[in-house]
Amino acid sequence: MGFYTTNNMMKEKTQQYIPKDAEVKFCDNTAIFEISTSEIKKVASDLRGNKNLSLKLITATDERAENGCFKIWYVFGVPQENIFIVPFIQLKNTTEFPSLSLNIFEALNYERKIQTFFGLTPIGCRDSRPIILHENWPTDVFPLRKDFSCQTRPKTASGSYRFQKVKGEGIYEIPVGPIHAGIIEPGHFRFSVAGERIVLLEPRLGFTHKGSEKLLEVLSLNDKVKLSEKISGDSSFSHSLVFCQALEKLSDINVPERTRYLRVIYAEMERLANHFGDIGAIMMDTGFNFGGAQGARLREIVMQINERITGSRFLRGVNVISGVTKDIDNREKSKLSLELENLSKDFSEVIAVAVNSTSLLNRLKGTGTLSAKIAKKHGVVGVAGKAVGMSNDARFDYPYAAYDKLLLGEVATEQDGDVYARFRVRIKETHASINIIQDALNKLPEGGINIPNIDVIFKKNAFVISVVEGWRGEIVYFITTDAAGNISRVAPRDPSFINWAVLRYAGFDNVIPDFPLINKSFNLSYTGNDL
Amino acid sequence: MTIFIWTIQFIFAPVISPLCIGIIKKIKAKLQNRQGASIFQPYKDLWKLLHKDEIISHDASWIFRSAPFIIFAVTIVVGASIPIFTSFFKSTLTGDMLIIVYALAISTFFLALAGMDTGSAFGGFGSSREMTLSALAEGGLIFSLLTVALVSGTSNLFAISSSTMFGQGQHVLSVLLAFSGFLIVLLAETARFPYDNPDTHLELTMIHEAMILEYSGKRLALMEWASANKLFIFFALGANLFFPFGLAQNAYAGEIVMGITIFMAKIFIFCMVIAFIESSMAKFRFFRLPDLLLISFIFNIVALGLIY
Repeated sequence: MGFYTTNNMMKEKTQQYIPKDAEVKFCDNTAIFEISTSEIKKVASDLRGNKNLSLKLITATDERAENGCFKIWYVFGVPQENIFIVPFIQLKNTTEFPSLSLNIFEALNYERKIQTFFGLTPIGCRDSRPIILHENWPTDVFPLRKDFSCQTRPKTASGSYRFQKVKGEGIYEIPVGPIHAGIIEPGHFRFSVAGERIVLLEPRLGFTHKGSEKLLEVLSLNDKVKLSEKISGDSSFSHSLVFCQALEKLSDINVPERTRYLRVIYAEMERLANHFGDIGAIMMDTGFNFGGAQGARLREIVMQINERITGSRFLRGVNVISGVTKDIDNREKSKLSLELENLSKDFSEVIAVAVNSTSLLNRLKGTGTLSAKIAKKHGVVGVAGKAVGMSNDARFDYPYAAYDKLLLGEVATEQDGDVYARFRVRIKETHASINIIQDALNKLPEGGINIPNIDVIFKKNAFVISVVEGWRGEIVYFITTDAAGNISRVAPRDPSFINWAVLRYAGFDNVIPDFPLINKSFNLSYTGNDL
Repeated sequence: MTIFIWTIQFIFAPVISPLCIGIIKKIKAKLQNRQGASIFQPYKDLWKLLHKDEIISHDASWIFRSAPFIIFAVTIVVGASIPIFTSFFKSTLTGDMLIIVYALAISTFFLALAGMDTGSAFGGFGSSREMTLSALAEGGLIFSLLTVALVSGTSNLFAISSSTMFGQGQHVLSVLLAFSGFLIVLLAETARFPYDNPDTHLELTMIHEAMILEYSGKRLALMEWASANKLFIFFALGANLFFPFGLAQNAYAGEIVMGITIFMAKIFIFCMVIAFIESSMAKFRFFRLPDLLLISFIFNIVALGLIY
């Protein structure tokens, strides 16, 4: 499916998902229609529950100036078809909207976020505590409303946060973080334990909130692309890719064919570096120093290749609207191909040693098991989802760049949902990534890599969804433009935002000393969640 | 001359123990394809910590303040009371096997108390884990030392280390089994793999490190130094009670130099073993650790049974 699906085809394909009386507007591969506030619960539950669509995002926009209302958007994706179904509701003269969190579990945090940042109240929500913003932020200032300027410095408030409590004999609480002993991102974890067993785990994040969503509305276009690279630093390329692809769709720019392949290569290099790092770090956290050292070494090799080709270890400054800035010439092509072959051999040797270590396997197997049932109920994405057999992968389901022309094999899945399953998924994806890059290098077409001096003009009152499979999982961007064709709202969703919500289930009933290992096997982004 | 040798005996443990840590770290680094810090780095670390300011929690009691001194003093006294490079100090008061084991228990006791003293959650679970393990390790330690005591017919450590009974065939198996049991306990008591990871930065997995997490500056230096001493003490016990050869039998300079050289070689082998274990396996899950200590106990019971 390209970007130019005709309206008729779209109508046919989306028919079964849209209520008959709804007035539908088609934007590329997106079907948008309004639903009344009283109906949304039914429609959304039907799409998610009966039609088996995945909920990509729920977010709000403040359109009080233009339309005198707030809108809340529910973005659903149809896998394989590369189509998005987007019902929305309008809130006129009210700040209340019905909560879906009892039927769709992953809706909870989206709704809490809308409540915290837009001041709209989800009615019937089972958790009304603010999310991301902390007690020092006044509860009556809503930063994503249009009448809030990003220059505002609100007065420091002093509220309190209620952690969930477990009562009973011998239960005690362990507060961990936000500052940890290692060099990792800040996040607070509250454990209630009985002896060494975890009874309740509650993560509290938001320590790295930077106001990125607001900044993405006000910065200049180039700075927006740069900021998207910093939404989560280890996914710089994926985040800027999804953002650039969205903007290209919004301005009807057709990127050169060569660029599509180069984007695949860079995206997979990023996946490679991070999976090597994670595989090493998982082994390191069990104390298996050999594996830890090798993982770090392999990651470093990839990072240095990245630096050689693009000048940036994290592939920053590579994506621009209309293409990429760094090419791979023929000499580099054969060199990279050879290096990947060696990496593949090298990696296989390391893994062979690792899976022969009884003490390592004993730590990984059966630890931090996430049940498939809970994962499905919460719409878990990425590595954690694949580790329970959910074969959701944006590269297959919503093919972008050149993924539809490359040999992808099949989605790397495992069944057990424990640390070892997540470890195995990463190993499989690593091998697959190397093959994809080799294939892309072979098929790399001639041509330009971007469109120089292009004038980017966005469609007016338009709307776009873009999805990319980052190495953690599916990254979704939701972008709208106003009547003047300016970007009026950008809602990035890092996979971490979804998966943080299920970490507590993976941690439940494990022993405390295993938690760092479980956390590492998810390796979620704090900054991607906090924005 | 005796005074001179006594002085060496007295300062040997605290002077050499940081070197053991340095050597283990160096070997581990090499095994991970890293350059690694100099083997003298632990000395520099201690020097640095001794010159740093301290922060002590307002809630800390005298236990927290005095524990480092008590623990350090215990390791100094124990370090001076065990056979290191000579075996002729048989007349010392503190050279008895039981006194050594329970003197070390005093230091563990104060370490656990100090961990809990400030009320920090990490110190609390560190102490709880330490007590669980050391209660189980005690049996293994006592019985492994009892085996060599029975073989040599005395519980005086210097007498054991000068015993010539080990060379005789019938006890070799007993002593080797007891040594296996001792090695398992050594790893537990000195907070090494697979019990504890001395290099970890993950607060939640710590045992020994969790208990000293609240310490800083001079007291931290003493704590670190004391745990290095403890490692040294266990190395020395292992080297001289189970493989009692090469110790100086009299006060001649040549004998002493030879004794020190052979002892250092034995210690180096212990460092290598620890470094290899820590580079080649993962840490065990906490609830599997008691099984391992039980194995140590069984080894020693079998060893005892074999003596008669």
